[in-house]
Amino acid sequence: MKFISANNGLRVLFYSLTLASFPCSALARAHASPLGEAYFQQSITGTVSDASGSLPGVIIMVKGTTRSTISDGEGRFSIAAANNEVLVFSFTGFKAVEVAIGEQTIFNIMLQEDATQLKELEINAGYYSVKQKESTGSISRITAKDIETQPVTNVLATMQGRMPGVSITQSTGTPGGGFDIAIRGRNSLRGDANAPLYIIDGVPYSSESIGSSYTSATLFPVTSNPLNSISLDAIASIEVLKDADATAIYGSRGANGVVLITTKKGAVGKTQVSINASTGVGNITRFMDLMNTQQYLAMRAKAFENDGVTQYPEYAYDINGTWGRNRYTDWQKELTGGTSEITAFQGSVSGGTGQTQFLFGTNYHTQTSVVPGNFIYKKGGGNFSLNHSSTDERFKLSLSGSYVVQDNDQPAFDPTIDSRSLAPNAPALYDAQGNLNWENGTWTNPLANLAAEFKSRTNDFIANSVLSYKINDDLIIKSSFGYSTTNHDETRTAPSTVYNPAFNLGSEYSALFVNTLNRRSWIAEPQVSYKLDLNRAKIDVLAGGTFQKQVSNNLTQYGIGFTSNSLIYNLAAASSRTIPLSDEITYKYQAFFGRINLKWDSKYIINFTARRDGSSRFGPKNQFAGFAALGAAWIISEEKFLKNQNVLSFGKIRGSYGSTGSDQIGDYQFLDTYTSSGVMYQGIVGLLPSRLYNPDFGWEKTKKLEAALELGFLKDRIFLTAAYYRNRSSNQLVGLPVPATTGFTSLQANLNATVQNTGFELSLDTKNIDTKDFSWSTNINLTLPHNKLVSFPGLESSVYKEQYRIGKPLAIRMVYNYKGVNEQTGVYQFEDVNGDGQITSPDDKQTAVDLSPEFYGGLQNQVRYKSWTLSFLFQFVKQKNQGFTLGNGGMMNNQPVELVNSWQAPGDSNSYQVYTTGFNSEAVTAQSLYESSTANIVDASFIRLKNIAVSYTLPDLSNGLKSSILLQAQNLLTITPYKGGDPEFGTLGFLPPLRVISAGIQLTF
Amino acid sequence: MYTQKKSISGFRAFSFTLLVLLSVSCDSFVDVELPKSQLTGSSVFLESNTANAAMVNIYAGIRDQGILSGTSLGISHNLGVYTDELTFYGASSYAAFYFFNNALLPSNIYVTNYWNAAYSQIYAANAVYEGVDASTALSTQDVQRLKGEALFVRALLHFYLVNLYGDIPYVTTTDYQINSSVPRLPSGEIYGYIISDLQQAIVLLPEEYYGMGRVRPNRYAAAALLARAYLYNHQWAEAAELASSVINYSALYSDEMNLQHTFLKDSPETIWQLSPAMEGRNTDEAATFTLLAAPPATVALTNELVNAFSPEDARKAAWIGQVTDGNSIWYYSAKYRQAATEAASSEYSIVFRLPEQYLIRAEARALHGDFTGALEDLDHIRHKAGLAGSPATDLPDILQEILTQRRLELFTEYGHRFFDLKRTGQLETALQGIKPGWDPTDSLFPLPETELLANPNLLPQNPGY
Repeated sequence: MKFISANNGLRVLFYSLTLASFPCSALARAHASPLGEAYFQQSITGTVSDASGSLPGVIIMVKGTTRSTISDGEGRFSIAAANNEVLVFSFTGFKAVEVAIGEQTIFNIMLQEDATQLKELEINAGYYSVKQKESTGSISRITAKDIETQPVTNVLATMQGRMPGVSITQSTGTPGGGFDIAIRGRNSLRGDANAPLYIIDGVPYSSESIGSSYTSATLFPVTSNPLNSISLDAIASIEVLKDADATAIYGSRGANGVVLITTKKGAVGKTQVSINASTGVGNITRFMDLMNTQQYLAMRAKAFENDGVTQYPEYAYDINGTWGRNRYTDWQKELTGGTSEITAFQGSVSGGTGQTQFLFGTNYHTQTSVVPGNFIYKKGGGNFSLNHSSTDERFKLSLSGSYVVQDNDQPAFDPTIDSRSLAPNAPALYDAQGNLNWENGTWTNPLANLAAEFKSRTNDFIANSVLSYKINDDLIIKSSFGYSTTNHDETRTAPSTVYNPAFNLGSEYSALFVNTLNRRSWIAEPQVSYKLDLNRAKIDVLAGGTFQKQVSNNLTQYGIGFTSNSLIYNLAAASSRTIPLSDEITYKYQAFFGRINLKWDSKYIINFTARRDGSSRFGPKNQFAGFAALGAAWIISEEKFLKNQNVLSFGKIRGSYGSTGSDQIGDYQFLDTYTSSGVMYQGIVGLLPSRLYNPDFGWEKTKKLEAALELGFLKDRIFLTAAYYRNRSSNQLVGLPVPATTGFTSLQANLNATVQNTGFELSLDTKNIDTKDFSWSTNINLTLPHNKLVSFPGLESSVYKEQYRIGKPLAIRMVYNYKGVNEQTGVYQFEDVNGDGQITSPDDKQTAVDLSPEFYGGLQNQVRYKSWTLSFLFQFVKQKNQGFTLGNGGMMNNQPVELVNSWQAPGDSNSYQVYTTGFNSEAVTAQSLYESSTANIVDASFIRLKNIAVSYTLPDLSNGLKSSILLQAQNLLTITPYKGGDPEFGTLGFLPPLRVISAGIQLTF
Repeated sequence: MYTQKKSISGFRAFSFTLLVLLSVSCDSFVDVELPKSQLTGSSVFLESNTANAAMVNIYAGIRDQGILSGTSLGISHNLGVYTDELTFYGASSYAAFYFFNNALLPSNIYVTNYWNAAYSQIYAANAVYEGVDASTALSTQDVQRLKGEALFVRALLHFYLVNLYGDIPYVTTTDYQINSSVPRLPSGEIYGYIISDLQQAIVLLPEEYYGMGRVRPNRYAAAALLARAYLYNHQWAEAAELASSVINYSALYSDEMNLQHTFLKDSPETIWQLSPAMEGRNTDEAATFTLLAAPPATVALTNELVNAFSPEDARKAAWIGQVTDGNSIWYYSAKYRQAATEAASSEYSIVFRLPEQYLIRAEARALHGDFTGALEDLDHIRHKAGLAGSPATDLPDILQEILTQRRLELFTEYGHRFFDLKRTGQLETALQGIKPGWDPTDSLFPLPETELLANPNLLPQNPGY
């Protein structure tokens, strides 16, 4: 393989360009040749329509020839044809119609929606596309139709509840925050290495964090990632590749699934303008039920009594009369109960001729915060797509790109925990003069924190071009080039005004934190595909290569001590500046991939895919590895024995097996280095040993097995897909925890453990009613996942001993077994597993509780009556999770209202322990044990009316102007037994997702 | 026939293109250069500047993280609330809450952080020692000094670890295979290693401070620590001898008679102090202990401590500040006063200062039978504070007076109070009635839970946890 050794990047580009430059001369020839001989023909005209009106973009072809045209914006067409010829009208999603011409010259054709469209649909599998009917892999899909009805801004939000096998959790309701996604469960023991690969129009899109904990730790549970930059209005479809057949061609990056995002393209026809505008409101989905003042003060009084304190101490302001004993503030409402105002605008112009199609789009979105103050999130951008083909259809060029700017202004602190823990009789926020009230220093005014601001600005550009040339009918060469760049600036201020003014702290205490990230990536993927048609056998072959380079520059700085608070955004005005991080990281990736697909008799299909990958993230000996998969499908409904019946319209059995990998371990981990620590001593910036040195770690491998059945009944009006999968990840690449006596807490190494994800995925589509005026269709998807640690040689003597159990899911948590409240002492009790009379960890922390979802899914309905459409989605998740606790009952912070039922006197058998103000150290210890005990693992299942959308299409106002009115809502209703606020969270104590209701109009002309 | 021919030519073209694609070499495209922020391990020790940067980063770590940090996470603060120096007023979300209530668990992240930070700093010190040792490019002075500093740091951190956690491993290599299964050693053996490391450090380190300020340990910093280690290890004669070696080096050390200036960065009493992160910055201690307004948000000095000062004790006025809300008064440690950034730093965190050496020598002399010498040293401290000579005559009284003076002199400085009560066996009597959560087994911290899991050789856990 080592023919060439130097300057490979350049050579690759050169080759790719050479390949791509072929077509130019061929194109010239194509133009020179005469096209058709129309002299004996007549002109046939007419219109094409469907149930709801004229249909532009329908392809009208003279059967058996290359003559074709396309209907215009009003559905009109004109084509030259002889009277012995046949016209074929075809349009994706509609049944094709053939008409013999005869003497007639005007045809008004009505196309009918194709009930079997589901299986005829071409789905994007990344390097190739495949008809759903003939697909051997497991691919879930949503389209613009599903996305448009949702008033959300993050691409992952649009997928929630809609795809089997895809579990998505929103981690905060603050705009600009993130989502967690797991496709078919957690494969890696490392929690942060389960992200799928994102690809937008062929360009890999890094979802690695762009934020910094210096700037966003108090606002976001995880630092922000670039996914928020994806403009939802530009998306045509999202495909999620899950099994080995679909993902092995992505090799080392396919283990956690692949999310393919395809943007909208222009369609042939009249230039069409489409405008959407909407406005809406958002609120917190759920609050906690907390004590009111009376209940709270009763608790405090009892706590002091329990502690034997008769005179309330000076610092017990809530109860000793310093604060009004009759005050009551609902702090949740006060601090997080605001209304977020949301506006969105989107416009696009598209159109094109048979050779060239274009689309330009633009969008703008704003969202204010539910937190008091003028905080706003803005996102806007534009996108374009241009497709061109030579008249002989041999040369094709496709260009697409998008530019998105996000501007986010938020408070630097998430006030959720404050809003729950503040005493209900805590003082007023403002004094009579309208200034922040500090109540003589007896409390920290929660609004003071709002003076600390988080601001971020993200510019994201992504572009892709694909050049392809059809050498002959069977052979196509193609090359794609992609470029993406993300610039992200994030700042957090900590002005001195967050402190009580009585402290007299001036701007010399103010601080500014700045994080700047710039990421650039290019990719070149030359490919060649070849098609062989041997009557009964059809063979498709694809081969290609990938060359990718990504460079990230990251600079984190902070300054302390400003001349004035009005100069706080000027780092130069800080009296001292520190640079904790200044780094440039290069990631290089190279691969060769191929696919061979064999179809026999349109019944038996075999699909072989393989990839050989090299990544700069591994040491010199371990850079390369191979991955491959075999998929097969048998379309039983094509068999003769099933031809003469009307019930089963489609049947397919498919399966796949293969391997994929993961290289999500960060860069340069195999090097023995010192890193600049950015911290000074004696005027010198220190050097820090980077890590324990281990150059020998290699790839993590996931072997995936899938078996599935796809059945269509009654002309596919009922369509069922049932899949079973089993993914096994081995050679686990982990930061192997090592004792701190080694100087570090982890060592990068491969661990000989196997994690298995199995599960059933069901998806049922039904067209319950389908008439001209009224249609109703339903989709149910259900996933029953099961995650298990299959093997782990030496677990008992390893550091994971108390974290994992063989045979149990990775998402277990080892907790104490709660045994109720001791009736005599009133203190929580736990099972003393080792019987030594003490409750200690880890010996007594031996109960494994599973926090992974038991099942999840969605129920979606779409109803159309004449010009009205209604769609709604229920999302459901059955799971357990941590309860939200607020420490010991009796201390100076509010508590869930359930805690009124606490132990009062010996003999009581209440569910909560004795109140204490902190003096009862036995109870204080028991409270922290309680928080990691079975008692605090509660049912966090929920059913959520995730989305509901109603639209009404107005009658055509004037020539070609279509308009509709839309009413949409997200997270409208949540049913859950969970008491700690909203049941959807990754980390406790952040703003829950918002309930959004919005109204809008859509114009098309 | 035609189709077949076309297929064959197509196949040829396909093969050709494939060949072109595959001919691109596999190997070197994915090679990357070193990231700009990193240096290879061995190259660090080829230059004096980079070797020095590796060393100072350990001091920066000691200053900012773990046991000796001056923030509210360090032991100055947390052992203050753990014993009878500080009262805690904050909520359970603060680290100090669990220290104040003597309710530490093996899972407590702050207890874990002390351990982890210390061993991480020990690793870095061992890496400097090994790197310097293997380097052929550094000058002999650099080699000796850096080795001495590394040994000093290693001894210092193990000293605090053994006093907080009891029997601990003594780590002397960077080899993770050895270090991941190291056993605990009896504390007597640990002292043996500490003493041996410091004896070597005294030989290797220069007499003068390296660079600006007294922020790099010199020979006397190592001697001061060794004096303390001998004292803790009941080697009275050696303790007195080492303390004398520091006290007698008047070229560098002398009394600062103005108590307002004791904690300024140029104090002649200072034996070793930590440089702030940047010129102009001051100490974390100032921000940690100073009360800006009443009532206190987190900690204030206990009444027991404040009342232990006699009214004429000048240290009370000089080192204790107070705030009032009109009704009550709260006191705070005002040894360090400058929390804000200034044009030039005025205060550095002082880890070793001369008065401690006098107190070490007083105690060592007393226990060695030299009461006169002991009283001389004791009165040296008392006189500086404006007090008359001590009336104590017999050993118990002298020892008790030394303990009292240690309490008054060294309060809120790196947990001296806790260590003194502990090594003199007086934790129970001193804390009785003041700390309802106190349990005799609280004299040792629990070993971090994660650590016992990762290295079973560290079992068993300390009693009581």
